[in-house]
Amino acid sequence: MKIERPAKGIYDELFDENHQVRPACRGLENWLFDSDEQLIADKRREADVLFQRLGITFNVYGDTDGADRLIPFDLIPRVISAADWHRLQTGLRQRVQALNRFLHDIYHDYEIVRAGIISAEQVFANDQYQPGMQNLKLPRNLYCHIAGIDLIRHSDGDFYVLEDNLRCPSGVSYMLENRRMMMRLFPELFARMPVAPVDQYPVLLGETLRASCLKPDPTVVVLTPGRFNSAYFEHAFLARQMGVELVEGADLFVLNNQVYMKTTAGPQQVDVIYRRVDDDFLDPLSGNPDSMLGVPGLYAAYRTGEVVLANAMGTGVADDKSIYPYVPDMIRFYLGEEPVLKNVPTWQCRKDEDLAYVLDNLDQLVVKEAQGAGGYGMLIGPKAAKQELARFRALLKEHPEDYIAQPTLSLSTCPTFVEEGIAPRHLDLRPFVLSGKKVQIVPGGLTRVALRKGSLVVNSSQGGGHQGHLGARK
Amino acid sequence: MLSRAAASLFWMARYLERAESLARLLDVSLTMALIDVPEDREEQLAVPLQVTGTLGAFRQQYDSITPQRLIDFLLIDDSHDSSVFSMFRNARDNALHVRGNLSADVWESINTAWIEIRGLRQQGVYEHSASGVFDWTRERSHTFRGAVYGTMLRTDAFHFLRLGTFVERADSTARVLNIRHRLAAEAMDHPTARSFFEWTALLHSLAAFEAYQNLYGHNLDPLNAAELLVLNADIPRSLHACMQEIANLLNEIDGGHGRKSKRLASSLYANLRFGDRDYIAETGLHDYLEDFLTRIQRISEQIQTDYMGW
Repeated sequence: MKIERPAKGIYDELFDENHQVRPACRGLENWLFDSDEQLIADKRREADVLFQRLGITFNVYGDTDGADRLIPFDLIPRVISAADWHRLQTGLRQRVQALNRFLHDIYHDYEIVRAGIISAEQVFANDQYQPGMQNLKLPRNLYCHIAGIDLIRHSDGDFYVLEDNLRCPSGVSYMLENRRMMMRLFPELFARMPVAPVDQYPVLLGETLRASCLKPDPTVVVLTPGRFNSAYFEHAFLARQMGVELVEGADLFVLNNQVYMKTTAGPQQVDVIYRRVDDDFLDPLSGNPDSMLGVPGLYAAYRTGEVVLANAMGTGVADDKSIYPYVPDMIRFYLGEEPVLKNVPTWQCRKDEDLAYVLDNLDQLVVKEAQGAGGYGMLIGPKAAKQELARFRALLKEHPEDYIAQPTLSLSTCPTFVEEGIAPRHLDLRPFVLSGKKVQIVPGGLTRVALRKGSLVVNSSQGGGHQGHLGARK
Repeated sequence: MLSRAAASLFWMARYLERAESLARLLDVSLTMALIDVPEDREEQLAVPLQVTGTLGAFRQQYDSITPQRLIDFLLIDDSHDSSVFSMFRNARDNALHVRGNLSADVWESINTAWIEIRGLRQQGVYEHSASGVFDWTRERSHTFRGAVYGTMLRTDAFHFLRLGTFVERADSTARVLNIRHRLAAEAMDHPTARSFFEWTALLHSLAAFEAYQNLYGHNLDPLNAAELLVLNADIPRSLHACMQEIANLLNEIDGGHGRKSKRLASSLYANLRFGDRDYIAETGLHDYLEDFLTRIQRISEQIQTDYMGW
């Protein structure tokens, strides 16, 4: 098949700078070049039918037609070599450990603030800081049981952390279903190259959730906002894979600070809630009073330690873009180690000298809301029109503290099926980090692809796709 | 299991069973309308509307019943809940709520059915293509039940699914028998080719034609048919067979709840198990079935109160 070559100056996951296939991808190369175009087209259609039948879909907010939209799935896998994975794993483990230590610290002893590493204002005045979490003792001092860390690979070939997702990171089900799909469609590919398994994720997740509670054999449930949530498929998928109940707020009630679910055999006590509902909607008595998604009295029960929430309340403060620049310092401060994974250099517009630099170089930078998520409020300087630049210039001057800026990174590319054939498209990587008795990571992640040529937005709520994914090659 | 999940599973299975029953009923009525004398056509076509209790709603929309209108109204109309299309939609809605409780095969069978019926609806269903859609509906229902039976763990999720199937089936058999038996008995007064068709229509509607031939030969006797479809435990759609399943399933459900459901179901089951055809003859099949319909409705409500009512 004809394959468009990657652009100069950009790291490609499949080809090196001399257009030679990278060593870890040799098995893939033969497969890709040997495969008949018609066969691949047939397989793509088959994949679409299977995804639709399995109901692996993604709901998009504000898109009434899109109630059952499929995320485009790309058949060409992205390969991560065992050596790369090994380093990633070390770095991810370190990073999430430090973030958990940070969360414990800012709700207990404030050492990092007292040491002058992060200003008190940035921690305590953060919207996501939950004063109610202060001095609450959590089992194993764990706040973030499930983390999804977004990474990109820069033109220097190295991975950079773009964002930490410590609230309700989603996407892991796509990693698992994509792998199954690849094994179903192209079993021969797995015979050609050794691929590390990811299927154990639900088992590890179950282990992690049970370990988040000190009771023996706790009752675990998955709490979903319901079937209209964009990630409902995933909630149901994980509950089924773990063999636990998938509950909605109305299925739970609180009595004497104990949480129960309404079952056909009467009330049954719940010990661990893997909640995929945001902090503010968990309990109408303490958060958003209009929330129909939560459970009245849940926060009070949580505060008495009778139930475990995974992730804990108040983790959002640590994945905020204004806290992000400090993560390398956290690693040094709490663990006494040098960070393995790099951060993207970040200018904090709250600082005068940073703001001045950002305003001077706006057309070169990416500007993001410090507390935004979903890729809705961002500026990509080099691609932005004049009015757009002017609009952001005004926004920055008005509320500098709401924004951060980063250099425009050249995300790596991977050959991807597009209208015109196979062409390089930009992608990122989100591995999932589980923290229980120990930190565990399955060798893989969600890879999102920007399907439009040159686009750097891979967020699935904005029309990105996801790519079949082959984890660490042994 | 969760009460809400139990309710969704129960209703999901009911809707699918109801779709299958309706497909059989429509199939038979449309066939009968073809062979019937013109003045009786409308009576044949009205049967599915009577059974589903939608005759009034239909009349508001149309002045007379034609096969195509019947197909439009009971097969693909999405503006009310009594069409096959709406039943699949409601079944899938319920399935979405309890995806975590379904095996992948069961979910896939329902989701695929939903995707396919949307396609069928888009293409449009006409007199000549309707029987293909009836076959499709029956096959989908079989696949669903097969996936439930073959892939679900024998936990309460399985029990509530099966309960839904058999409560709906008992209700549906009684309704169909009630109306079709009257038509068949009336036809007996004028023994012609028509009476034969009426009998076969009754038996085909309840998938019992072959069983009848096996047990009674060609001897068309109203009481035989009643005995077969009420009292014979070996006929999968008979009231006896359904009640046996319901009584057993209720006993399998975990926990001490549901004493009242169990009592009502066991008592109705005992009536059938130890019933005889003479009693039915004395009571009259119509009154007998009316009583049964009240009681099965009561059991359905009690199941929902006992297990799902909070």
